[in-house]
Amino acid sequence: MLLLRAPFLLSLKFPPLRPCFPSLPFSNPWSRNLFLRCCSTGRAAMSGRRTVADVLMGNARAAAAAAAKSKKSAPSSAQPEQPSPSPSKKPKTLDGGGQNPKDPPEEKNPTLDLKKKCSDFNPKKAASWKDGEPVPFLFLARALELISNESGRIAITEIICNVFRTVIATTPGDLLATVYLSANRIAAPHEGIELGIGDASLVKALAEAYGRKEEQVKKQLKELGDLGLVAKASRSSQKVMFKPQPLTIAKVFDTFRAIAKESGKDSQDKKRNHIKGLLVAATECEPQYLVRLLQSKMRIGLAEKTVLVALGQAAIYSETNQNPRSQTQSDLEEAAKIIKQVYSVLPIYDKIVPELLHVGVWKLPEACNFSLGVPVGPMLAKPTKAVSEILDKFQGMEFTCEYKYDGERAQIHYMEDGSVEIYSRNAERNTGKYPDVVGSVSRFKKPAVKSFVLDCEIVAYDREKQRILPFQILSTRARKGVILSDIKVAVCTFAFDILYVNGQPLLQEQLKVRREHLYGSFEEVPGVFQFATAITSDDLEEIQKFLDTAVNTSCEGLIIKTLDKDATYEPSKRSNNWLKLKKDYMESIGDSLDLVPIAAFHGRGKRTGVYGSFLLACYDEHNEEYQSICNIGTGFSESQLEERSTSLRNKIIPKPKPYYRFSDTMDPDVWFEPSEVWEVKAADLSISPVHRAANGIVDPNKGISLRFPRLLHVRDDKSPEEATTSEQVAEMYRAQKINHTNNQDEDDDD
Amino acid sequence: MLELRLVQGSLLKKVLESIRELVTDANFDCSATGFSLQAMDSSHVALVALLLRSEGFEHYRCDRNLSMGMNLNNVSKMLRCAGNDDIITVKADDGSDTVTFMFESPNQDKIADFEMKLMDIDSEHLGIPDAEYQAIVRMPSSEFARICKDLSSIGDTVIISVTKEGVKFSTAGDIGTANIVCRQNKTVDKPEEATIIEMQEPVSLTFALRYLNSFTKATPLSETVAISLSSDLPVVVEYKIAEMGYIRFYLAPKIEEDDDMKP
Repeated sequence: MLLLRAPFLLSLKFPPLRPCFPSLPFSNPWSRNLFLRCCSTGRAAMSGRRTVADVLMGNARAAAAAAAKSKKSAPSSAQPEQPSPSPSKKPKTLDGGGQNPKDPPEEKNPTLDLKKKCSDFNPKKAASWKDGEPVPFLFLARALELISNESGRIAITEIICNVFRTVIATTPGDLLATVYLSANRIAAPHEGIELGIGDASLVKALAEAYGRKEEQVKKQLKELGDLGLVAKASRSSQKVMFKPQPLTIAKVFDTFRAIAKESGKDSQDKKRNHIKGLLVAATECEPQYLVRLLQSKMRIGLAEKTVLVALGQAAIYSETNQNPRSQTQSDLEEAAKIIKQVYSVLPIYDKIVPELLHVGVWKLPEACNFSLGVPVGPMLAKPTKAVSEILDKFQGMEFTCEYKYDGERAQIHYMEDGSVEIYSRNAERNTGKYPDVVGSVSRFKKPAVKSFVLDCEIVAYDREKQRILPFQILSTRARKGVILSDIKVAVCTFAFDILYVNGQPLLQEQLKVRREHLYGSFEEVPGVFQFATAITSDDLEEIQKFLDTAVNTSCEGLIIKTLDKDATYEPSKRSNNWLKLKKDYMESIGDSLDLVPIAAFHGRGKRTGVYGSFLLACYDEHNEEYQSICNIGTGFSESQLEERSTSLRNKIIPKPKPYYRFSDTMDPDVWFEPSEVWEVKAADLSISPVHRAANGIVDPNKGISLRFPRLLHVRDDKSPEEATTSEQVAEMYRAQKINHTNNQDEDDDD
Repeated sequence: MLELRLVQGSLLKKVLESIRELVTDANFDCSATGFSLQAMDSSHVALVALLLRSEGFEHYRCDRNLSMGMNLNNVSKMLRCAGNDDIITVKADDGSDTVTFMFESPNQDKIADFEMKLMDIDSEHLGIPDAEYQAIVRMPSSEFARICKDLSSIGDTVIISVTKEGVKFSTAGDIGTANIVCRQNKTVDKPEEATIIEMQEPVSLTFALRYLNSFTKATPLSETVAISLSSDLPVVVEYKIAEMGYIRFYLAPKIEEDDDMKP
């Protein structure tokens, strides 16, 4: 390289005579020559492609922007000389403006092809890169942009399916990274690998990468409500010296993984540098989606389920490339089902994607099996409203009822080497949270058991009084790194299913058989490990009574399962063979409350421009004050939210009224005059350290708050003073069968 | 085998100090003609090019072209251990993954060896075309540093405009605006105090002050600075290193009609 740099250096010493005109250097033979020399060095081919023309204003964004704004110079005039920086570059859309004038202008944007029906789609045509070359990130970013403008799930599935097909047809090696990015993941969930980037870090990286001030970025964030859009808007204010290599999907994904790996001292700085590297190289809509991927908030309606369905369909289409029309609908559906099933058993794309390319969809279930140490998605239950409904659904089938414990779902894996892992409902590693459970495994498993996977619920438990404590108590435990000796909240593990024992997967067995294995392999240790309380009955009265007892013993309700027909374990499926009956679904509980919005938080993302959530209050007649009771953000239709935001905007007051009672930690963006009354329904009421409703009535220092409040409608017929009173709230709380405190036994007696 | 002996060791220290804020890692390239470096900052907005010609060294031996990746902060840490009058020798063996800095005190009574690990840096060499500029301003480097520093306390971008009258630096911020005009002035006692403007066409460009300020870290290297401007081209801020070469900073302009800055 140095040898070749010499002529350049020399030429600096003896500048050749040549007319002075700013844009000429790009087109003059000397610089072309230099470029060629650089190329011929045989240094990494990548760098060889760098052109002199890229240098100094070669930056097309800047040039395009400048050209659009001021016509005093025409930097693009020099660009026809510019060899395409990378052959993988796609032709530009209009807004990209002549970045690559070499590409024939009449060629249409191939990403538009992605919107075609799957059966009409030709993957080879959509690819702007050659077979085997890395897939440009822009291809995916554009597809994501298309998806964000779609709302129908079928249309979205088709777009992402077409993306996968294109990748399979050209550079199958990039499929894994493409799938990961589409699913907005960087690793299988149980690996616990996270990007670990906060918004503050991103703001800083954006500011540094685009030469802006952090304050400006923050201000704009407030206006636009979404960092992705801020990134997009930031792009153009600073030109760059050399246009970096276009991003590829592989490069983006590798960088994401590198970011996740950074740890220890200065890791935030290192992460930021990685991010800057990506941002600097990002063009068009890339920054927006880069940032959203980094935030792990895509918000474009591309759910992981959709990705899986699309992956299955893409594989089908790609297997019989020749005639895409021959695919029957049922084949496609079947393929989607297979992928979903395989993913629920083995949620690791690193294993699924290569096998999919290797053996195809149909043989995938054989290649990707349940394996010990990899959490499967837990089976879920469908809600029902009444006991009678259950009898209707399970007519003529044998079924069983179990307590539905109010704790944390856990999948305990016990490996042959004696190690234990506990995974959460979302397949995240939770082992660090429950060292006590890990330690108790050897106490409750029978000696003959060498390995197992248990499905259970971990519940906070008062060992002295031998009673289950509410979920709120459990949630006071630290999330990770719990030390055995520091544990204040004891837990009891309630096991209700077994998926694997002694090297034998049980997923395909009926529940009856699994139960036998469960009861045969473990022993109850009171207060530490118990089997979920269950009865087998089809008597309506009996079940109703069982439900009442369940609720009275601080359970949420019942789970009803078929026993020996259609009773296999269906990972991550909300199956019809498991039904749940919860107390708050039942008519008898949950009167609605009429509450007053007194403050609100600005919305972000989809809710930009309206309020994202409101602070509601009840009215205390005695003290004539409004006491905060909950934040509410659900139950609104889009138009309703818009309406409420508009009407409340007229009621904004600069600071809270002196008669508002709320926690100091509460810091809403705006305060309102008490003006409206909203009817709100909630799952139940609980003691809250944050909210102030009925403060002093039930608990001397704490108020009451609503769990899972949702808006029913606006009460035009009530004035704020007629809202639900603190006294009423306290009464409702007392009337609840379960109280979310652990020290008020007397309440349980009535 | 590489061996470079530099009598004014402080020069190398100054060079390092002037670029390490801009670039964290860079490749130092050694050839028979000289010792050079080219690197871009992480956001690809600024570029630094350094050349120390072989003639400037007391002893210069470079058998084979060599590219040595270094973390500039680490180099700076090592060089800070050298006294200001020390003679610095840079040594590296072919194929070795370390570089040695040797510091000799002027009266030869102390010799220190510092060995540093090299790193693999994936950087690309970028050809920089030699353009003719619409305007070149030569002025005392300390004056330029002062202007950049003063303006950055008011705004974060500067508009540099060259007209027949002189060169104008202006900025605007929340607290107000600032304009500094330097007129051509050749009638000075010392040539390095002169402000000379060579202009073919009037030119006006906007830059982020943050980068210019970081360029002025090179002020100790040279009494004068040359600022070359052309519409839509990066500005070149050049500090000549006496009898050795130069350090040049390139900075891409900001796009002018930017909502952010409203000059």
